[in-house]
Amino acid sequence: MSISEFSIPFRYKTNKANPFAWLFSHTLHHWAVFLAALVGAAGNAALAAVPAVQFGIVFTNLTSGSPDKNVFIRAAIIITYTQVIRGLFQLMRNFGFEATAQKIERDVRDEFYINLLGKSMTFHALQSVGDLMARATNDIREVNFLFSPGINMVIGSINFLFIPLIISWEINPSLLLTPLLFILTYFLSILLYLKKLKPITGKVRGSFGMMNSRLAEAIDGVETVKAAAQEENEIGLFQRNIGAYRNASVEQGDMEARFLPLLLLALAMGFGLLHALILFQNGVIPLGDVIKYFSALSLLGFPTHTSIHSYSQISLGIAGARRLLSIMNAENNLDKNDGGNADQLQGEVSFSDVSFSYDAHNSALQNISFRVQPGQTVAIVGQTGSGKTTLVRLINRTYDPGSGSVQIDGVDLRNWKLDTLRSQISIIEQDIFLFSKSIFENIAFSKPTASREEVEDAAKKAQAHAFISSLPEAYDTVIGERGVTLSGGQRQRIALARAFLTDPKILILDDSTSAIDSQTEDEIQRAIKAASEGRTTFIITHRLSQIRWADLIIVMRQGSIADIGTHADLMRTSSSYRNIFTEI
Amino acid sequence: MGFSTGLASESYDRQYSNKTLLGRVWAYARPERKRILVILLTVLLQGGLGALPPVIVAKVLDEGIAGIPNQQAFYFLTALVILLELLGYLFYYVNHRLLARVIADINRSLSTDAFASSMRQDMAFHDVFSSGKIVSRITTDTRDFSTLITLTMDVANNLVQSIVTAFILLNAEWHLALLFFLTIPVFILFVSLYRKLARRVSRQGMRAMANVNATIKETISGIAVAKNFRQEESIYQEFKQSNTISFRTNIKRGLVLSTVFPTTRTLGALATAMLVYFGAISVTQGIITAGAWYLFILSTERFLQPILSITSYWTQVQTGLSAAERILALIDAEHTVLQRGSFQPEKFKGKIDFNHLRFGYANGKTVLKDFTLHIHEGENIAIVGHTGAGKTSIARLIARFYEFQDGELLIDDTDIRAYDLHALRQHMGLVTQVPFLFEGTVEENIRFSQPGITRAEILSLARQIGGGEWLDTFADGLDTRVGERGAQISMGQRQLVALLRVLAQNPAVFILDEATASIDPFTEKQIQTALNLILKQSTSVLIAHRLSTVQSADRIIVLREGAIIEEGTHAQLLSQAGHYSELYNTYFRHQSLEYVEQAGS
Repeated sequence: MSISEFSIPFRYKTNKANPFAWLFSHTLHHWAVFLAALVGAAGNAALAAVPAVQFGIVFTNLTSGSPDKNVFIRAAIIITYTQVIRGLFQLMRNFGFEATAQKIERDVRDEFYINLLGKSMTFHALQSVGDLMARATNDIREVNFLFSPGINMVIGSINFLFIPLIISWEINPSLLLTPLLFILTYFLSILLYLKKLKPITGKVRGSFGMMNSRLAEAIDGVETVKAAAQEENEIGLFQRNIGAYRNASVEQGDMEARFLPLLLLALAMGFGLLHALILFQNGVIPLGDVIKYFSALSLLGFPTHTSIHSYSQISLGIAGARRLLSIMNAENNLDKNDGGNADQLQGEVSFSDVSFSYDAHNSALQNISFRVQPGQTVAIVGQTGSGKTTLVRLINRTYDPGSGSVQIDGVDLRNWKLDTLRSQISIIEQDIFLFSKSIFENIAFSKPTASREEVEDAAKKAQAHAFISSLPEAYDTVIGERGVTLSGGQRQRIALARAFLTDPKILILDDSTSAIDSQTEDEIQRAIKAASEGRTTFIITHRLSQIRWADLIIVMRQGSIADIGTHADLMRTSSSYRNIFTEI
Repeated sequence: MGFSTGLASESYDRQYSNKTLLGRVWAYARPERKRILVILLTVLLQGGLGALPPVIVAKVLDEGIAGIPNQQAFYFLTALVILLELLGYLFYYVNHRLLARVIADINRSLSTDAFASSMRQDMAFHDVFSSGKIVSRITTDTRDFSTLITLTMDVANNLVQSIVTAFILLNAEWHLALLFFLTIPVFILFVSLYRKLARRVSRQGMRAMANVNATIKETISGIAVAKNFRQEESIYQEFKQSNTISFRTNIKRGLVLSTVFPTTRTLGALATAMLVYFGAISVTQGIITAGAWYLFILSTERFLQPILSITSYWTQVQTGLSAAERILALIDAEHTVLQRGSFQPEKFKGKIDFNHLRFGYANGKTVLKDFTLHIHEGENIAIVGHTGAGKTSIARLIARFYEFQDGELLIDDTDIRAYDLHALRQHMGLVTQVPFLFEGTVEENIRFSQPGITRAEILSLARQIGGGEWLDTFADGLDTRVGERGAQISMGQRQLVALLRVLAQNPAVFILDEATASIDPFTEKQIQTALNLILKQSTSVLIAHRLSTVQSADRIIVLREGAIIEEGTHAQLLSQAGHYSELYNTYFRHQSLEYVEQAGS
């Protein structure tokens, strides 16, 4: 059992060792539809040979000197019956694979999402949402296509490779020679083809991506381009980029033009016909069998033509599955720790000699030590990249420190029950995410049972009630709909209301919102002040007033505490701190 | 997503007459005409060849039935089959290679023209049309158009094959052939009925997909919030619901799409069964030979398949043509900023005069009515006012991003329209409200406006700001990659890079639309230093949002509804207790030290 922060069991077990095993275990779960698809494919292929056999029978009869009408009628009836049934088999095959593909798409996405929910905050903090999105949509789509049309075409057409073998065997075993040789060389050349195609399609996709992203950038930044009078340079750059894409596309076209199985098919048809004719001439087989054989050989055309696309579809699907697995198998280093300390938090926080690094090369924090009393407000200041955000992320155990210890109420975080810890610590991020739902639902998100009154109360404390009431549908206004957009300050106050509702003992506020006017600034100030009352509060802030009035100020610089103390202390002891207060 | 982004129409879209459209398309195809000719030739030959093998086989059979086991003839016919198949492969090879080149080259010239046109368009154009849609025209629409070329060739191939087969059949036995042709309307009817149904379920599927994508995006972005409040279960339920809806819609769509091939196949097989019987009867009656009978049987597929394909191609052809129309509309969109001269002075002094200027945006709203303002060489002016007062318009007119309607705008006492646009802008430095950086290193971004500057020169400029300490906040100094649109570095760092870009350019006129984003106090100080360096060396027009910027200007211009209502220094204006002091109380008061001391106490 792997460890995870949150676990809903996925409906069935899958083997995540490699893409093939994984997709196989998903397929196995949907064995019934998949089997139906296989049966459909086999039935379709088996009946596909019937007309060829019937043509032969009719032809033999026609040339026998005593044509029999009943033979024709029987042939026509057999063809009608079998081909209607074949149509049903084909439908079973197509829809069977389609249903398998859709079910697997649904389940893979479900499994992927459950897995994401179980991942630690560390994981989500480092992973770009855009990338996860791309995997949850495009890559999963590719897995769908792998089954339909990918496997559908391959399995459907592979049957057509083997039917000629059976027919040949029936007519004359020596006729096996041509189809056998063809099948052998067919698979060899497909393998070779795929191997050669892989780097080329990679190049095509890579060069397109490069062209596309620069293009989008140049158009987004057109004002900058124009201001710098760099239009002609940008056009030149675009020409180079699209030139690379053009060359890669041509290379792919040339590779496809050399698709060897088509040549093999041409040779097989010719030599097969010759072989059958020689046998006919030597009296080994009747002329009707020559026809039968030739019709059977032409069945080889279907798998040959479809393979130009179907195999690349499968390789794309496998690549997609591999990308999904790489996320799903990523290690999760935190667990729920259900047996840990579950006391009510008091809010005392202490760091003793804490160091932390994201990777082996760069350390993010070094030797951080400080102690905060319950109810105090701490301002953390410093330049971008100085370690402010990393520091606060250690408080709710988003990460565990590399060395040293973070304690709340004297207990090391690793000994707390994760649920207890997280439910009493609230973080308000720099980029506040609001759902495209009503404002009421957004605030009540933290406590789905909250009543209307509770929500309004929280909004009032967060200084959000006034502006929410001024919106067309007040608390029922849906964010993002009909152009309802909120300013940074408004979003922040909704997030604060959300936090008020859970009444956390420790509040962490990553505050980089700026108020464009003084009235909004007043409101934000009041909201934050109200939020910090009665709880331990950490504020990463650019607001001089908050820094000025905090109980404790931590000045971060390149991962270490450069200065720590109250405003009065720092004005006396720290020159860089003094600088920011003297030049406004 | 992506399906419909490029399909919405824009006001610069126009309807081309079929003749014009084809003429324009041909202009792009013209350089490729030799290749296209060869491709058409191979297509014709391929189509013709594709119809031949059944004829040969039928011939073999007739020879065989005649009972003359002519070995020579057999060898000859076999060799012919191989030769035909080999020729078919050769034609495929030539055709595919040339087609890849034709498509890639036409695609390249169309995209390049579309991109160049959008680069050369005025800002008035870019203000109105979203960049996402323009990008989609340059990439997606050009690709849709190239698909049209492939389709045309496919249709041509199929048509030829059908026509040749029809001739062969007519030639072999016209009664039977005509009987056979009677089935065609049935197929066409079926395909067109089916097409309507398919289009409906496809559209539903796309819509469901767009919804699911939106929910997935939201539920993935919301994971962090959900974790914060331990609400994983509720967000999971939301995800699951939309995943299930998408599944249901898609399975319905899958069912409809899965029926098409089995149905046409079965219809084709029924036609074949009929032929088997009636054809065999005709053979016994001596109307046709056994070989001809076999020829009919083998040809049904070859004849019907192209007809089925051609009917479904038509919609795609329409898609391709309207894509062409959209790209051409982008290429042909008209410019509004027009230069009358091409004056290229060696040096600019930086004197700017607005005389009775009138300016309004394309939507008809007048922003500046009778605007007069004289800015001396080397002067730094700050423009303040409420949103919509016309601050940005003034800055953008100086950068010659827009055309004004009346009055005059002089740079160094010469009409701004008399300058070569390129030369003019080379002497202007502009920093936009959200500084825009390109994917690449910090160094490349600083060099953007001055491609010739060396690394040493950049370093010496960087060191003028706080001893260059700000470079240490980047992981790899000047070689740090900034990410797309500069997303990987902070707002403050982006502003510093943008200011360094202007310092490197050393322009005569500096235009700053100040950012409103909040920046940590340490970086803010460095930005102020960089700003002061630029102010010293150029004439500056500052749209100020920070108190310190307003205070550093030589003159403050107070704008209201496009008119200057007050001007002077910060202290002078505050003491007047007019519009400026109202603006100060609205926008700047909270940045002052007095406010800091009073708030929160």
